[in-house]
This record gives sequence, C-alpha cells and structure tokens, in this order.
Amino acid sequence: MIGRYCSVWIIVWSACAAGLGGCATQSMEMRSLPPEKPAAENAAAAENGAELAKALASEPARAGAKERKAVPLITPADAPSMATYDPWGRLNRFTYRFNTRFDEALFLPIANGYRRLPLPLRSGVHNFFGNLGEVDNIINYTLQLRLVRSLRSAGRLLINTTFGLGGLFDVATKFKLTSAPTGLSATLATWGVRPGPYLVIPLLGPSTLRDGIGVVGDFGTSHVVDIAHLYRGDLSWYLEGVNLVDQRANVDFRYYSSGSPFEYETIRFLYVRMRLIEDAGLYRGRQPQKTPPGVPAGE
Amino acid sequence: MRLIVCALTMTLAAAAIAHGETQPLPVARPDPASAAQSQTPSATRSDDASAAPPETQPAAQSAALLAATGSPTGLADSAALRATVFGTPPQDMAPLPETVPLSEINIALPWANPVPAVYWFDRKLRVWFSAQKKPAPLAIVIAGTGGDGNTSKLSILRGALYGAGYHVLTMPSPTFPGFIVSTSSTGVSGDLMQDSRDLYAAIQQILVHLPRRVQITDIDVLGYSLGGANAAVIKSIDATTDKGKLHIHRAVMINPPVSLITSISRLDKLFAISIGSGDADIDRLYRQLYAELANLYRASGKVELNEGFLFAAAATVLKSDAEYSAAIALSFRLNLVDMFFAGDLYTGAGVVVDPRHPPRVGDSLENASHVLRGMPFSEYFSRVFAPYYLKHRANSTSKSLIADNRLDIIGDALRDDGDYYAQTNSDDLILDKRELQWLKDTLGPRIVVYDHGGHLGNLGDRHQVADMLEMLAGRWNPPAP
Repeated sequence: MIGRYCSVWIIVWSACAAGLGGCATQSMEMRSLPPEKPAAENAAAAENGAELAKALASEPARAGAKERKAVPLITPADAPSMATYDPWGRLNRFTYRFNTRFDEALFLPIANGYRRLPLPLRSGVHNFFGNLGEVDNIINYTLQLRLVRSLRSAGRLLINTTFGLGGLFDVATKFKLTSAPTGLSATLATWGVRPGPYLVIPLLGPSTLRDGIGVVGDFGTSHVVDIAHLYRGDLSWYLEGVNLVDQRANVDFRYYSSGSPFEYETIRFLYVRMRLIEDAGLYRGRQPQKTPPGVPAGE
Repeated sequence: MRLIVCALTMTLAAAAIAHGETQPLPVARPDPASAAQSQTPSATRSDDASAAPPETQPAAQSAALLAATGSPTGLADSAALRATVFGTPPQDMAPLPETVPLSEINIALPWANPVPAVYWFDRKLRVWFSAQKKPAPLAIVIAGTGGDGNTSKLSILRGALYGAGYHVLTMPSPTFPGFIVSTSSTGVSGDLMQDSRDLYAAIQQILVHLPRRVQITDIDVLGYSLGGANAAVIKSIDATTDKGKLHIHRAVMINPPVSLITSISRLDKLFAISIGSGDADIDRLYRQLYAELANLYRASGKVELNEGFLFAAAATVLKSDAEYSAAIALSFRLNLVDMFFAGDLYTGAGVVVDPRHPPRVGDSLENASHVLRGMPFSEYFSRVFAPYYLKHRANSTSKSLIADNRLDIIGDALRDDGDYYAQTNSDDLILDKRELQWLKDTLGPRIVVYDHGGHLGNLGDRHQVADMLEMLAGRWNPPAP
C-alpha cells in the first residue's frame, strides 16, 4: 500500500518539476519542451527513404510469389461504411474531454520530462516492457493458431532475456526476429468477433468494445503468469507507472492540436478503419467479414 | 496503450495529409525523362481543357486544368503535383542544426471574443519559440492555410533560421481554428488585411511578455503560402503603426498567393475535377483508398498498421496526377470545413449551426462536418464571408471584397520598399501566368523564381534556404539572367 502512495507522490513531484520548467505571467505562460533534433531526424528520414525505395523496387518480384496470389483482393465495394457504430457517443465524448484535460495537466508534462532522459536509458526501458509483453504474444499467437509467430516470440523472449540482459537490449532484432506484438483483441478478431461499439477508455483513449476487453485480458494474462514476480506487490505499481509514461512518451500526439471541434469524429473514423484493416490482415487467405451496406462500421 | 499508439499514428498521417504537411517522403525524384514523358498528354491537351468531359479522364483533366490556369511555363506536370504532395526529399534538405531548443507559449488575448462551448480547448493562442542564448535578430514565421504554429514546414524553417543565428517565433495561420477562436477579432477568417491586423496585435502582445533574458536586435517576418501574404501585410501595418511599433525590418514571402480568392477557386476546381462534388464522389474516393490500403497491408504480412507502413503506402497509393490532385484538393477542403464551421458559428449565418441553439460540449457534430465537406469556398464566400464584411465594411461590394484580398493592397510598398522579398516556383499551382508576372514586375530583383517545386515542394531545400537567409540578411544578389 505504501508503494501506491509513493507512486502518487512521484507523479505529483514530476508534474511540479515539469511545471517549473517554464515561467508564467498572468496572461502568458511559457513552457520549455524537449529540444528538436532536425539534423538527426532528417538523416533518419533519408535512411528510411532509401529502405523504402529498395522495398518498392523489389515489390514486383515479390508480387509474383505464390503467397501473394492466394490473397483475394478487397474491392472498394467491400469497404465499410463511412459512418461509425458509436451508440455510446455522448459518454465517449465526455471521456475524450476528460482524457484531454488529464493529458495536458499531468500525463504529457511527465512524458516530456521523461523525453529529456538520455536515449539509451529510454530505449532500455522500452525494450524491457516490450520483452515482458512477449509472454502475452506467445499465448495469443498460439490461440490464433499462428505457431510460427508464436515460436518467433518465444525466441525473442529467450534471446532478449539472456543476451539482452533481462530485456534491456533488443538483440533478437539483429537475428531478424523483429518485434510483432499481438494481443487478446487480435485473437478475438481471428475467431470472428467484430470490433463492436466505439469506446473511449479513460486515460488510454480511442478503442472499441473488443479492444477494451483485449486490454483487460492482456493485463490479466501478465498478472496471472507473473513473470519474475514483477506483477505483485508494491513493485508492480512503479512498473505500471513507468510503462505508461514510456508508452505516452513514444506517441507524438497532442490532444486538440488540430484546434478543431471535429477532432473526435476524425479520430473515431480513422481508428475504426485502421482496426478493420488490421482485422483484414488477420484473415489472410480468406475474405474478411463484410459489413452489409447501410450498417455503420464496427457493428 | 497500443490502442493510443495505433490511433494516434493514424491520425498523424491523416493530419499530415489533411494539412498538406506530409513529411517529406524520401523517394528519389522521378528522372526528367520519365517526367517529361508523363507530362506529354497534359501539355498537348491543355488547349482543349474545357472540351473534355471531366468524368472520363480525371488525370488528364486535372493536369489540363493546371496547364491552362496554373503554370505559366506550360509545365503543368506530374513533378509539380508530386513535389507539392511529398515536399523536399531529405537528401536535398539544407544543412540543419543538431539541436534546436523549443518552448511553447500559451497566451490569452484581451480582445478575444467569448469562446463558444464546442471550442473549449482553443481559449489561448499557442505559438512556439526558440531562443538564442545571446542577443540576436528575431524571425517571425507564419504558417499557410489551416496550419497551426508547429507544422512540419514551420519546423524545417525553424531549424534553418535557428541554425543561422535567429531567435524564431512560429505562428499559426489566421485560418487555423485555434487562432480564429483565441485571437481573431471577427471569427470570420480569410480577409487578408483584417487577419493580418489580428496577427500583428498578437505578435505585439507576445513580444511584450517575452522573458527579459531574450535580447532581440532586429525583427524580420516570413511566411509560406497564405502566411507569406500575411507576413508582407504585417510589415506594411507596422510601418504605419505608432503605438507599440515593432520596427519590422524585412519580409520574405515563400510561395505567396497574389489573389486569395482566385487561388482558392483554383483549388476548388481541382477538387471538382479530381474528386467530384457530391457525397457519392467522396464516398467513392474513400472506398478506393480503403481497398488499396487494405490490400497493401494484407500483402505486407505486417501485424501492425503503423507510421512506417502508412508513409510507405502513401508512396504506393498516390501515383497518378489524379491522385496527387485529389490529395491536394482534399487537404484544402478539410481546412475549409473548419474555417466554415467557425465562421458560421460566430456570425450566426445558420448554414449548419442553428444560431438559437448552438452546439454544446458532448453534442455530435457529425452532421455539420458531413454537410460542410461537400461545400466549396464559393459557398463560404457567399454565405458567411461576404455577408459579414459587407455589413462591417462601409461602401463594400462583393467585387471590392475580392479586390481587397489581393496583394495589390500593399502593391506600392512592395514596389518601393527594398525590404520586401519573395521566393516562388514557376510551376506553383496557386499562381497563374499573370499573377506570377505581377509579382515579378512589382518586386523586380527582389523575387527569385525556381523552375520546379510546385507549391512549397522545395521548401527547405539547399537553394531555397540559402537564398532566404541572404534575403533576410539584406545580402541578396539576384542571379544574372
């Protein structure tokens, strides 16, 4: 229990520290942000570009592969309606507003403070949590009957836990075992469960009913497996806190940076389409479920 | 948390396209030979542009439109459209500094209108500031239509200017909804003079409140696209201001419009030709994009739809002139939806908002956005903009309002004051031949016109940045003809 109070205290303290980074007059408030690194970003963009060009160049060769022919094409007529199934809209809109305020007041300032830490430290934290997630990936890939993926996740867990010093370094990627996270929601989708109503989850943000169940299920799985006893007692509170901050710091998003009152509609539209496309990816080799015309997407 | 990650990635990509802020997509430029080949049809068709039925050959049509109205050199080519969509490739980028410090400023402006309930998040004007440690000149940079104060284009300019020793203040466009709500004195955006006055007043307030440690030796203004026109008008306002005069030294316009209304009508025409006008046309575009993305994603064998995939997909999905045109037109239309909604709400015009029952927090705005995305700029002009300004500006007519929104309103200053500069491209889609000629005649040696780049497609490249810095420093020597 003490741990819980401590983590609350840490959050408050970090928020104050983040707040002190700026100065304020009555009508104007100035807040210092993590510096930009334009030279490095441009170099990274050039590198990605080279890779992309290479991938595009090899595209026709791969398109001829047998596997590619087996995937039936999705036609424009198969696309879901532009309307989205959102029976809990009013509640969702209030949750979206709450999330915005929470993010501005607490979550984002802390994440910005975290972004000032040295990159090796942050990627160590990120890799560590990614490695813990492999347990859930193994279980869910097995439930999806994608055994190769499941084995690959197991390989990643093994290599990164040992050679990667407890998951701090992602050594497995160097052995061409790249990260491929999955979860309970993908498993449910594989077995034909539709996304269901759009749902904005407090603190976590845009989701659907199925994804919400997935989040709870994935957390439950980690808790039950309880790898290295990290998910019990005071320690688990700190870890979950750090995990949340790490996740937030890796997302370059600001609520209402669009300045637009239509932001809720825009995000809902994009989120549900993105999930439906990801679902279609799970049905490789067979045609994904079609939404009948006139039925809003997700239902 | 992956939920957030996914949704937000997607939003970023969409917002990027929606605001014409696509990250410079790092693909090699098409070689001139194939570009020349692909432009042949448009060049030959440009003469009978009006004769071809729009639905049969949208690609040829939109290219023809641009050839007919857009490109003074007759080069209404894929390269111009492509550059406009994807921006400067990273390998052509000017050298940028390793680190640029950044602060965010939120300021409440005393003259702001009461904030409508649905805009609860837009109470303060938000701008971004990068300070040098020693005394330095200040560069104020203004975004293009619909852009906030931290677009990727502003970020490129910020890097270049900070690297050259300037303090940099980046400002949203007066057409950005956050500006309309927090700063506009009218709520009706799009008027060159009024919007620039509001911007100027906001800049005065911000500079008064900057911390003492920031020492400013000189002030220059810049802007891209519509922001370029705003920047020039701001300098002219400053010249005639007594109280709180900022003594703005130089102004550089990057790809500015000459006539706001004609430039915008050109984008509306592009929308009609590349997408259509009705709901069914928008639905068709959506279904086509969805199917293409879904098929690419399935074929990729990836398990996550993330930013990397989307940028790769954008290069694959957007290939033809019609698709580039659709992307440009759609991005402008989505900005217009926001301007339209705010104007409708503030003036009580009643287009989508019932003035007696304005929407409250938590109300669905689905219907409003649905109706507005089908409306071109001419509807905004006739139903919101003109009624407001005809009432508030003595002796004005629809015609005079159009004339008020040309750079001519500061024509004398542009001609006679040697501190105004411009950079543009001969294939910029928002200018026609006459407009480009007007800019050349008015600015004389103080304009540089590059051969290629479309609209802002070369922003940040070595030549553009080097010339911009020369202009700002007053060292500009026009290249020998």
